[in-house]
Amino acid sequence: MGRGFHILAAAFLLSVLVLCGGGAGGALAPGKSDKCPVCGMFVHKYPDFLAQIKFNDGKVFFFDGNKDMFRFFFNLKKYAPERKTDDISSIHVTDYYSLSPVDGREAYYVAGSDVHGPMGKELIPFGKEPEAREFMKDHKGKSLLKFKDINPSVLKELE
Amino acid sequence: MIWIEKQRNIIDLALSSLLRKSGKNLALVIIYTAIVFILASVVFFISSLKREAALVLEASPEIVVQKLVAGRQALAPESYIDAMRGLRGTANVRGRLWGHYFDSTVGANYTIMACDDDAQLAAGTITIGRGMARTLSLKKGDSMKFDAYDGTSVDFKVGEILPYRSELVASDLILLRSDGFRRIFGMEEGSYSDVTLQVANRKEMATVAGKIKKLLPDSRPILRDEVLRTYEAIFDWRGGLLIVILCGAVLAFIIFAWDKASGLSFEERREICILKAVGWDTSEVMAMKLWEGAVISLLSFIFGIIGAYLHVFYTSYFLFGPVLKGWSVLYPSYQLIPAVDPYQLAALFFLTVVPYTAATLIPLWGAASIDPDEGMRL
Repeated sequence: MGRGFHILAAAFLLSVLVLCGGGAGGALAPGKSDKCPVCGMFVHKYPDFLAQIKFNDGKVFFFDGNKDMFRFFFNLKKYAPERKTDDISSIHVTDYYSLSPVDGREAYYVAGSDVHGPMGKELIPFGKEPEAREFMKDHKGKSLLKFKDINPSVLKELE
Repeated sequence: MIWIEKQRNIIDLALSSLLRKSGKNLALVIIYTAIVFILASVVFFISSLKREAALVLEASPEIVVQKLVAGRQALAPESYIDAMRGLRGTANVRGRLWGHYFDSTVGANYTIMACDDDAQLAAGTITIGRGMARTLSLKKGDSMKFDAYDGTSVDFKVGEILPYRSELVASDLILLRSDGFRRIFGMEEGSYSDVTLQVANRKEMATVAGKIKKLLPDSRPILRDEVLRTYEAIFDWRGGLLIVILCGAVLAFIIFAWDKASGLSFEERREICILKAVGWDTSEVMAMKLWEGAVISLLSFIFGIIGAYLHVFYTSYFLFGPVLKGWSVLYPSYQLIPAVDPYQLAALFFLTVVPYTAATLIPLWGAASIDPDEGMRL
């Protein structure tokens, strides 16, 4: 009784905190109809793994995971034949801990962890290196990679 | 077209046959409606409470950490907050001050809580819930006395009354500054009721809770999802309790309906035989009887559902409310957000209309296929 009551009472109070709460901001958000150009899945359902590539002309491609984003990046010829790598103005990925967008070219990626995305094994991105290192420890990550270290053979291992 | 025309005529006849036995059928509809009403009321109420709890908890912190001493909750020290501040993936680590205050004059228990940010309230003022304001007939600017832990009394001014929309959670709530809270309960600076923290990524909640447990072995981290599950279990349990109490009524109805539907009376048998004698097909007789059953069960179903909807969402569940609502002396009065899930309607439909219709079908088959001459001689 005591324990149950305390948990319940805490629960009640949890909700009360709404009255003094705050909020957070965001960046580019995908629309309901945006699909991942690589796997064809709707992207808005998986905000935790969202990645995006923006081109100079303003066109944005959304992905439901970094693996698909890299597949797209390495094989523009297949997924967006009319575009070139040089035309990419920015790449954003979603930081695992804060769920806020970070620069994809500067991010740290952990491969081989026990955290899976909508497309299975994933590269989990972090804005800061110590965070990535701690995540590796917590989630049995195998390797820590920078953007330039990632190539098609790394992606092959995540299949 | 011909088929529809034929069915229309059959329905016509079925309706007039129902009206001929209006007394008996009316009684059936009333009892049937009552059963649907009760079941639907419980289902609607429980599910809307669950939805409300989920809505309320959506914006609350993901983890609450309590300190345990000998298995009981104790005050959490400042060092708890410092220890958890550095955890990866967490934000807004905060000590909370909250508790219950028993008001002996009205015999009510209030929830009393210090606001996160002391700057939100002026010194010596409190914000109170509407339920409390109603019970104590307090207005903005009135003063309220609290008996402090040491026997002295402390005066507060009512600065504000909480808006109506937060009534379910905040009906019996008092918000005040942390210095006022510490004054009433004699809590020292640097100790808190519990500590809350936010975790942005849901997937990381279990890991964070594990780390907290490792870092502070005498703590108990409570996850928001756990709280939600506890709520759901409690609501389900209460709903189940009510269903068990009403089980007798439901059983009585089932026996009554079974008896009514499965045993055909002498007149009904005669009616069927006459229809067959004047040239009706077995299938047509069955269609007529099925229409009769459908009219009765659909009517009852619709009446019952509408009644339950009004009962739950517009009269605040006045019939069974006391069984299903809170544990506090001061009952929060609130209106639930009207919403009905089509899945629930379908479940209720299959629990009431379908069994009744099925129960009418089998004996009908027997009666409809007997020889009319033989049937009328009985």
